[in-house]
Amino acid sequence: MADTLNATVRENLGSRNSRRLRNTSQIPAVLYGHGQESVSLSIPESEILAVIRHGAKLVDVTGAVKDSALIQQVQWDALGSDVLHLDLLRVSKDEAVTITVAVHLRGEAPGTKEGGVLDHARHEIELECRADSIPEPLEITVNELHVGQSITVGQLELPDGVTLLTDPDLVLVQCVEAAVEADDEDEVPGVGGVEPEVIGRKTEEDEGEE
Amino acid sequence: MALMPKRVKHRKSQRGRIKGSATRGNKVVFGDFGLQALQGGWVKAQTIEAGRVAAQQYIRGEGRLYVRMFPHRSITSTPLETRMGKGKGEPEAWVATVKPGTIMYELGGVTEEQAKVCFARLAHKMPIRVRFIRRRPA
Repeated sequence: MADTLNATVRENLGSRNSRRLRNTSQIPAVLYGHGQESVSLSIPESEILAVIRHGAKLVDVTGAVKDSALIQQVQWDALGSDVLHLDLLRVSKDEAVTITVAVHLRGEAPGTKEGGVLDHARHEIELECRADSIPEPLEITVNELHVGQSITVGQLELPDGVTLLTDPDLVLVQCVEAAVEADDEDEVPGVGGVEPEVIGRKTEEDEGEE
Repeated sequence: MALMPKRVKHRKSQRGRIKGSATRGNKVVFGDFGLQALQGGWVKAQTIEAGRVAAQQYIRGEGRLYVRMFPHRSITSTPLETRMGKGKGEPEAWVATVKPGTIMYELGGVTEEQAKVCFARLAHKMPIRVRFIRRRPA
């Protein structure tokens, strides 16, 4: 069942009014799509945070406006702690939508015990599916991943009725050999150390040639 | 060796001011967990390296550490007991300019508990206030 957002129509627009709205634990939002006029809304912050926590993509908007909508964009503040604004796209439940779904790893790769490091190269993939059958975050088992092996996007098992939009040849997760990194701090740059080359400055050799 | 640029346009720069919060490099992109700056400041190349070593020694090749900042800026200083004048000093260190919100390090392939302990060790080395954050859901 889709999560519900209880919305009220927002009359006072603009950044100043939006800031005042956020101070009352309401988040400004906009609902658009399907060729209809866009509506400015305000939604309780707690409901939005709950929807984000559940990872829901499709929501039922109730209250002043009744519609089903896809969460198109969530705007966060610079520190990533507060939601600033929500974009909602009107969708009908049998409509095909393009969404981004997270990919989680499950299990333990044997390659990590062979001196390898697991590189989760792609955390999200793009899919097309019906709005009412948006899949949960996908899981992939890495129990048979040895050093030098990889799993591509095309190897993911997708639910029925879901089309993959991301390039299937892209590497999703791979087990690579751990890079040997020096743990010592031998040289301090600057005083007595090397300095970077200055772009455009002629070196002594160049001057000698001229 | 501590980090520094290979080529620079100018050897020395003016001090400048750190205004506002980070609007780029403020999301966990490569790993699952991150260490986020809550203050602005300069982080020396040696400090970045010390943090990397502290984290690397804890995870011991189990997970993967990503360093998300780079010391692009040189810091100059004049030697002790030098008379006033005679121009700007010589580059002494390289620093990364960090704004509040910048993700300084990321960690992937470890559990949340391991990442928290690892970043706690790393945070002790940092000259600014930092916090632990998770990757934002898709």
